[in-house]
Amino acid sequence: MVAEDISKAVRRVDAVAKSNGTAKYVPDYDFGDCLWARMIRSSIPRGKILNINLPELPEGYTFVSYKDIPEGGKNYLHMIATDWKCFAEDEVRYVGETIGLLVGPDKTKLEDLLEQVKVDYEEMEAATTIDEGVACKGGAFVNDNNIHCHLKLEVGKPDEAFAKAAKIVEETIETGFQEHIYLETNGACCVPEKNGEYTVYASAQCPFYIRKSIAPLLNISPEKITVKQTTTGGAFGGKEHFPDVLCGPLLVAAHKTGKTVKMIFDREEDVEFSVKRHPSKVVFKTGLDENGNIVAMDSKVYYNVGGYLASSFVVLQRGCFHVTGCYEFPNFRTEGFGVATNTFPSCAFRGFGAPQTLFAIETHMCHLAEMQGLDPLEYKRRYFIKQGGITSTNGKIVERVMIPEMLDQVLKASDYERKIKEYGTGKGKGIGISFYNHGGAFTGNGEQAIIKGKCKLRKYKDGTVEILCGQTEMGQGFHTILPKIAAHVLEIPIEKVIFDDPNTSRVPDSGPTAASRSTMIVGELVERAATLMKPRYDKEEEFEVMTEYEHPEGYPWDQSTFQGYAYLGYGWGVCAVEVEVDPCTAEITTKGVWSSHDCGHLIDEKIVHGQVNGGILQGLGWGSTEVLENVKGHFKQTSISSYIVPTSMDFPKQGVYFVENPYEWGPFGAKGMGELVFNGSAAAYIDAVSRAIGKRICSIPCPTETVMNYMLNGKDIKEAL
Amino acid sequence: MEEVKCYMPSTLIEALEIKSKVDCIPLAGGSDLMVAHKRTLGLTPKFDKPVMIIRNLPELRKIYINEKGECVIGSGCTSTEIAENTLCPWHLRQAASRMGAIGLRNSATIGGNIANASPKGDTPGPLYLLDARVKLSSVNGEREELVSDFIVKFRTLDLKSDELITEVIVPYSEDDFDYIFWHKVGTRKANAISKITLSQAIKFAEDGTVADYRVSATATGAKTNRSRDVENIIIGKKISAELIEDVIKAFDGVISPRAMPEFRREATRRMIRRFLSVAATHPENKVIDTYDDYHVTGQPEPRRK
Amino acid sequence: MDAKISFKLNGKNVSITTDPLRRLLDILRDDFKLTGVKEGCSEGECGACSVLLNGKIVTSCIIPIGAVDGQEVMTIEGVSATEGGKIIVEAFADGGAVQCGFCIPGMVIAAYYLLSNNPNPTDDEIRLGISGNICRCTGYDLIVESIKLAAERGEKIWKK
Repeated sequence: MVAEDISKAVRRVDAVAKSNGTAKYVPDYDFGDCLWARMIRSSIPRGKILNINLPELPEGYTFVSYKDIPEGGKNYLHMIATDWKCFAEDEVRYVGETIGLLVGPDKTKLEDLLEQVKVDYEEMEAATTIDEGVACKGGAFVNDNNIHCHLKLEVGKPDEAFAKAAKIVEETIETGFQEHIYLETNGACCVPEKNGEYTVYASAQCPFYIRKSIAPLLNISPEKITVKQTTTGGAFGGKEHFPDVLCGPLLVAAHKTGKTVKMIFDREEDVEFSVKRHPSKVVFKTGLDENGNIVAMDSKVYYNVGGYLASSFVVLQRGCFHVTGCYEFPNFRTEGFGVATNTFPSCAFRGFGAPQTLFAIETHMCHLAEMQGLDPLEYKRRYFIKQGGITSTNGKIVERVMIPEMLDQVLKASDYERKIKEYGTGKGKGIGISFYNHGGAFTGNGEQAIIKGKCKLRKYKDGTVEILCGQTEMGQGFHTILPKIAAHVLEIPIEKVIFDDPNTSRVPDSGPTAASRSTMIVGELVERAATLMKPRYDKEEEFEVMTEYEHPEGYPWDQSTFQGYAYLGYGWGVCAVEVEVDPCTAEITTKGVWSSHDCGHLIDEKIVHGQVNGGILQGLGWGSTEVLENVKGHFKQTSISSYIVPTSMDFPKQGVYFVENPYEWGPFGAKGMGELVFNGSAAAYIDAVSRAIGKRICSIPCPTETVMNYMLNGKDIKEAL
Repeated sequence: MEEVKCYMPSTLIEALEIKSKVDCIPLAGGSDLMVAHKRTLGLTPKFDKPVMIIRNLPELRKIYINEKGECVIGSGCTSTEIAENTLCPWHLRQAASRMGAIGLRNSATIGGNIANASPKGDTPGPLYLLDARVKLSSVNGEREELVSDFIVKFRTLDLKSDELITEVIVPYSEDDFDYIFWHKVGTRKANAISKITLSQAIKFAEDGTVADYRVSATATGAKTNRSRDVENIIIGKKISAELIEDVIKAFDGVISPRAMPEFRREATRRMIRRFLSVAATHPENKVIDTYDDYHVTGQPEPRRK
Repeated sequence: MDAKISFKLNGKNVSITTDPLRRLLDILRDDFKLTGVKEGCSEGECGACSVLLNGKIVTSCIIPIGAVDGQEVMTIEGVSATEGGKIIVEAFADGGAVQCGFCIPGMVIAAYYLLSNNPNPTDDEIRLGISGNICRCTGYDLIVESIKLAAERGEKIWKK
């Protein structure tokens, strides 16, 4: 029997329970007679804690701090780096830093007590922006220069090429903070079990990360902690490492009280006191020959990391690897700086550092073209990278690059060529286009060297097959994707495949649900396991097969020098956006959004379609209305009414297209795509807006008042850089 | 913490009697008060005074045209009820239909929106424009006051402790004008707080001079802005480019936006210029917006009387 | 100061003695264990806590239970058991409307309210009808398509 194409949409396994309200998220669990926790946080961006004044605590109420970490325990959270403290000790580095937990049985009483807590500080001068961090405002607090992390990449001979350039231009492109606004706020619960073991329930992306991160607090092995993921109401990277910041203190509280302790953030604290997308500043220096061709490019990439490093070096690396976008430049250099500031530490957010540099290169390329009176699209075309092309890490593009085919689809659907001529610049209408990619999975050989993902399939007597791995469903559709792959290989109905929310005691560690790796890597592990299972399926009643990731030979990567094949399979994207500007109010109305993506072979066309829609909209929000200001260390927008994410009325129905480009090492030819679809829409939007108003735009977000400001005071789009 | 008292009268008379005896906060839709007093998840909002729930008082939920031809709106009418009722003046219906989220519009009341006395409130702009009054009732009687006087300043009302806002009376409607304008620049296209909202209306005399012109602006200062002195610059005269600029300049002196002043001032200038210059051409369409083929152009839905 | 509040909940008469200023949302979730009603923003902005109050969609996070005395409340648990509600749930599942799902019970309520008042909505009317419900995952397109599907499939029900 030849099965039909796997791409054909099936009904998501979680859709009905989520629609009729029976799906249980962590706030929906009744843990019975449990204690509630509220966080006591730093109210200043930088300083020394002098005194914590607590009200008299009635019986059953407890204050939990670093002093409650047992002997041998370590007061840190392991989030790639180990610098982020679970509880502040004597210094605080950002507003919202965890000082302690107040724990007790009655939520109202707890809140009354919390309002009476007063912390005395010796406040110090804070640095909150990239520039202030680099300038070591208030004195460096990380190394001697406030640089948490740094890397440098070079292709060709940039110095020689710059020396020969006819013209050198410079430009700075900036992006702002972005808040995830997963609809379910962060929440977790820690239950003490017998024998010094604990069970943690959490709304989270990576249960194994939590275990590893918090076990050192009690100096116990990670296996003593079982992490059960609960139905997770969105994450987007915001629940990759951040749940550790809840689960760590909860573990110490459960240890101290011997009772179940639960904490759910309300929206205000979740916006004010959670990780964000790194603000960025990319400074380009580009050498042109007498015909305007790029002969050399240098870029300095600065990311605002915040008070602690945590996962940010990896974010910065990915940012630097993607700064050449979909282009190949003969001579190129980039230097990345992770800047320490007194803001809430930045962390993972869909795209993981790539969107910032992709926005920067796309915008810079448009401006290089415009200042020469050239069509941006025609200019970009000159540099499209192809199969075999050299990447920013001196590796090669392994796969076929289908940008020309994707571009054709988008041009046709959007009627781009007619509109770009007709609208011109500064006449109230504009159409823009962007190109982007996203390297799938962990960088280089990280999947084999660091993650070592494993996956099991277990067949039961009744013919059902259970998938055992650590991958989580957070909305992206993985509860459907993985069973679909197994069912398709085994040629059994998808209903016969079980795949529950992971429980770290039952499943092998298949690596985090992050980095657009789940379908591409773990999907392949399942495909392979199912292939191994298939010949035995009818013969044996109950058995297990396990697979482990193996990196293809012949694609070297050196993690110490960041040289080689950073990614074997990229997702690729082209996006066009058309806008109209209100001449009175500068309001932007988006008239059309069209995209084409190469995600290899689609595992489920409807799920991928939904990812495209959501990713593009989130990118449009980042580029337009999602203003998140930090004033003296405090985020100014702290609610859904002040932090403006798009509604159903803000952007029109999208035109969604794909090209078929099966990936050699992915399941059924699939590649990663969850982050890719975020990476390009902001650049296309800004290109369109800047053409409509005829002004050069170099930073996002760009809300109405900023558009007006550009209309009044901006530089002409054609002005020389 | 001690729980505050909460009164739940079932008639207006009962409510007024409670109000005469107890200094309490009337709570209608809850869209402002429940949010302003919220605590964390699962907790009861914390009020510092007794509360009186008046959401369901039937006396406060009527909309009708009185003997003088004025539109009378019960203070407990929700934004949805106002937006959907063609007895209500056009400007007010526009504002009501774009206030917050749909679910919120089914709760939020016009009385509450006025009493919140926020410069970003959606209904005061049209109410100022149309010379609307509030009726204030107490056990001792009733009195009426212009909304623009009743809202003294940010979060401050000319309200006695025994009084309740019971009605909003709107003497003018779009029928009294030749051309009308209402445009809200929100934080987004729906479910939005106002960044700036401008309401305008104009009537021409037979000789082509301006018989009446009005403009009010929301979110441009400590309270909604309107100035008859500014409007008088153009009333009785024929519209000219110079006069338009005089109006713009004078109105610029009336508004005092604190945040994003440049944007708010410039958008205000441009919207006034747009409305007056288009009205001067006497187009067929009664509704004028910020540019052609945009939002609400054409004719307003006919009023049902 | 507790008071006895009686109301109709998903078709049944119920009463509860409690502080009338407690939020309807908390009464539904904590006292009646109707956890399909979600808390997303606590300020009436996101629509996750939507319920029908006397047949109209409201955000239950801003309504004190005292205001519900003598009124009628339908939650997602009640709506999804109705004929129309079932059609919407099925259409959401078939149409790919659901991702993380946290906004979806509120979205189903919004769809139900819309279709009950407008059996044949245009795309724009659907977008307006769900504009009070924030979704961060889907970009809304497939939710709009699913509501169209529910309109078609439930034609006879909505026109009643």
